[in-house]
Amino acid sequence: MPITITRRTLNRTALALLLSTAIPAAAIADDGDQKLAIGMSTTFTTLDPHEASSAPNNAASRHIFDSLINRGGAAENQPQLATEWKVLDPTHWQFTLREGVKFHDGTAFDAEDVIASLLRARDLPSQSFASYTRNITNVTAPDPFTVVVETSVPDPMILNSLSRIRIISADHAKDGVAEFDDGSAAVGTGPFKFVSYAPGDRLVVERNDDYFAGAADWSDVTLRMIPDDGARLAALLSGDLDLIETLPAEGMERVESSKDYKAIWGQSTRLVFLGMDVSKDQSPFVKAKDGSELDKNPLKDERVRRAMLMAMNRPAIVDRVMQKNGTVADQYVAEGYFGHSDDVKRVDYDPEGAKALLAEAGYPDGFKLTLHGPAGRYVKDSEVLQAIGQMLARIGIDASVEVMPWSMYSDAYSEGQFSVFFASWGVNTGEVSNPAIATVATRNDEKGTGRYNGGGINDTEIDALLDQATSTLEEAEREPLLKQVSDLTFNKLWILPLHYENVVLGARAGIDYTPRGDKYTLAYDVKNAAK
Amino acid sequence: MVTSLIRRTFQALIVLFAMTAIVFVGVNVIGNPVDILINPDANAAEKARVIAHFGLDKPLWEQYLRFLGGIVQGDFGTSFVYNKPALGLILERMPATLELAFTALFIALAVGLPLGLYAGLYPNRVSSKVIMSGSILGFSLPTFWVGLMLVLVFSVELGWLPSNGRGDTVELFGVRWSFLTGDGLRHLLLPAFNLALFKTSLVLRLTRAGVQEVLPQEYVKFARAKGLTERRVIFVHVLKNLMIPVITIVGLEFGSLIAFSVVTESIFAWPGMGKLIIDSINLLDRPVIVAYLMMMVVLFVVLNFVIEICYTLLDPRVRLNARD
Repeated sequence: MPITITRRTLNRTALALLLSTAIPAAAIADDGDQKLAIGMSTTFTTLDPHEASSAPNNAASRHIFDSLINRGGAAENQPQLATEWKVLDPTHWQFTLREGVKFHDGTAFDAEDVIASLLRARDLPSQSFASYTRNITNVTAPDPFTVVVETSVPDPMILNSLSRIRIISADHAKDGVAEFDDGSAAVGTGPFKFVSYAPGDRLVVERNDDYFAGAADWSDVTLRMIPDDGARLAALLSGDLDLIETLPAEGMERVESSKDYKAIWGQSTRLVFLGMDVSKDQSPFVKAKDGSELDKNPLKDERVRRAMLMAMNRPAIVDRVMQKNGTVADQYVAEGYFGHSDDVKRVDYDPEGAKALLAEAGYPDGFKLTLHGPAGRYVKDSEVLQAIGQMLARIGIDASVEVMPWSMYSDAYSEGQFSVFFASWGVNTGEVSNPAIATVATRNDEKGTGRYNGGGINDTEIDALLDQATSTLEEAEREPLLKQVSDLTFNKLWILPLHYENVVLGARAGIDYTPRGDKYTLAYDVKNAAK
Repeated sequence: MVTSLIRRTFQALIVLFAMTAIVFVGVNVIGNPVDILINPDANAAEKARVIAHFGLDKPLWEQYLRFLGGIVQGDFGTSFVYNKPALGLILERMPATLELAFTALFIALAVGLPLGLYAGLYPNRVSSKVIMSGSILGFSLPTFWVGLMLVLVFSVELGWLPSNGRGDTVELFGVRWSFLTGDGLRHLLLPAFNLALFKTSLVLRLTRAGVQEVLPQEYVKFARAKGLTERRVIFVHVLKNLMIPVITIVGLEFGSLIAFSVVTESIFAWPGMGKLIIDSINLLDRPVIVAYLMMMVVLFVVLNFVIEICYTLLDPRVRLNARD
């Protein structure tokens, strides 16, 4: 049969060809150069690295600025602008600075910049870095490449604190937010140089070819702020972005089934747990099944708490409810982090055993309680709480669930207004003392301990261990103390550990990245497989 | 005209004043911004310093008086989150939103008017019925769904248009605009169309109803009897008379385009005011919330005034101070 080609069929074929090649063409164009576009799920608010300490801000500032100490993905302290450090005496630390480092404007880096930066972070009126700078009384420089930091008390967390404080040029120490945001003061020693910044929209940076740790894989990097899950996913699939934070669970299948894209998984250091009122004799939201008051607070009984944890099928929660966005947790930190204890026993899912234990504690028919939690603050928070409520019902505890916006919840739970509450702590220090002091140490406003101890836990043994650990500088002596804190907290089940949130990123093929425990997404660590 | 302007300005000031009081009390009830903004590791003394820094240690009435004092000097307060003047933050993002809203309005009028006219003049044609049924879809489909579908079809599947953002911008009168560059226009198309869809249907249906109401009127018959061309009858006598309801609705809807383009702005990651206000509400950034709401009051007052000026141009019977 002869084939006649009319103009119409020709046009149609051309269009079809265009359509079928449109997407791969766009993808190839991205591979050719070294441009990287990252979609962030949160909004950073300023480029002034000392103004407001929040995870998005601190992650963004790492692109342009360095610190004395580099905080690795598993919370380890590595040299950055300081090459080595030592303890002179319990309140004096000496840091040797890296020589030959230049700021983006060509000026040389030395001790003067370190002094200016540390003091600026400490003294800005916003006081946002106060928790890192509160112990720093003075910073001096015996010579241009040595700095001595003096602390008011022995501070074992000083390296962690210094890893949070970015080093700016002393020339810009007097500048404010406006100068940093328009780029004139956004001059650091970091892997990328400032190009442009549109608040709430994007930050554009270019490679610093002279970076002391080696130039990045990318000549140009754009950090886009796209909090809307659907928009971020669409931007990845349409080729506008190369890597997105917090790949929405709804898009997982689409991304994983395509050879052009992939999901990247990692475990964060954010622990999610249930806090319990273990101090009041009658807890406000725990009642007998008929609604009458109980003669005592069952949550004070360790067996009841254990039965509640045994009732929860945590593997199913992280697998189904959270769609694999979590990893079952048994204590503050996962294996490999400082203060993790092998002696903490995992409590397995065992509803029959839970019933028996509840009966042994004197509640064969269970009781009634209300679970409180925030909505939209943590990964699938209200869904997880609903699931827990249903699981508790199976062992005879009638649980109703009440969730509220974070702005209303945060105050109420930390002050201890609830009986059983959903809580979380991002263990960004990567060790046990920080979460333990906040959540399980006895509340003491003067010492600043137990601020989020909403259950009123009062365990003198834990308090004594923490007191000792926070004034011990030797890591080898500190570790057993913190291990004991983990043992006591989680073998007595003062709080019920649920899971660590996972970090899930979506990327196009050809991007390699290892997620960090603190959930920061750093362009310098993103590797270009095509290179 | 001048007296009317003065009277309106005075009315606007009263509305603004009432608004400050309502909003100020309102945002104070939602929750405490310090709990959201502060580093959870902060101790009691550090927290107290932050509270004092924001001026939140003062009693509410004192905060309010201070705020009023600031406004008189053109200072709407400093954002807790950005540590910049709240008004500046809003104005910085206004061009993006205005650009989007104007483009959407243009699309709504350019598409809605002719189609509505056509459907009104020839109501029995099949094409008119198709247009009318189509317009039902236009205002009944939710914006966020249409937006996602647009992205899915035109960005993800076809790859013709970018899925989000503003694209290249050029500076004009000290403000950055994206509608002046090819790349910017490509970015503008999808969100503007998404935002315009509802308004287009509205304009279309209003126009059609207006045409059908005006056509049987005596003056139209008279104009025809006078032997005027059909074109003159439709474009002068019919169109002018049906414009009054259209302008009223379009004017008010334009206000809502600007004030509530939040959904479209989030789906297309459009860096406008809508995104800013949502972020600010989540972070309880009170100065920005208050300043934004006050801007919106001013906007609606101005729009209403512009609409009424338009009436006088269209209908000689309407006078601005006729109701004195």
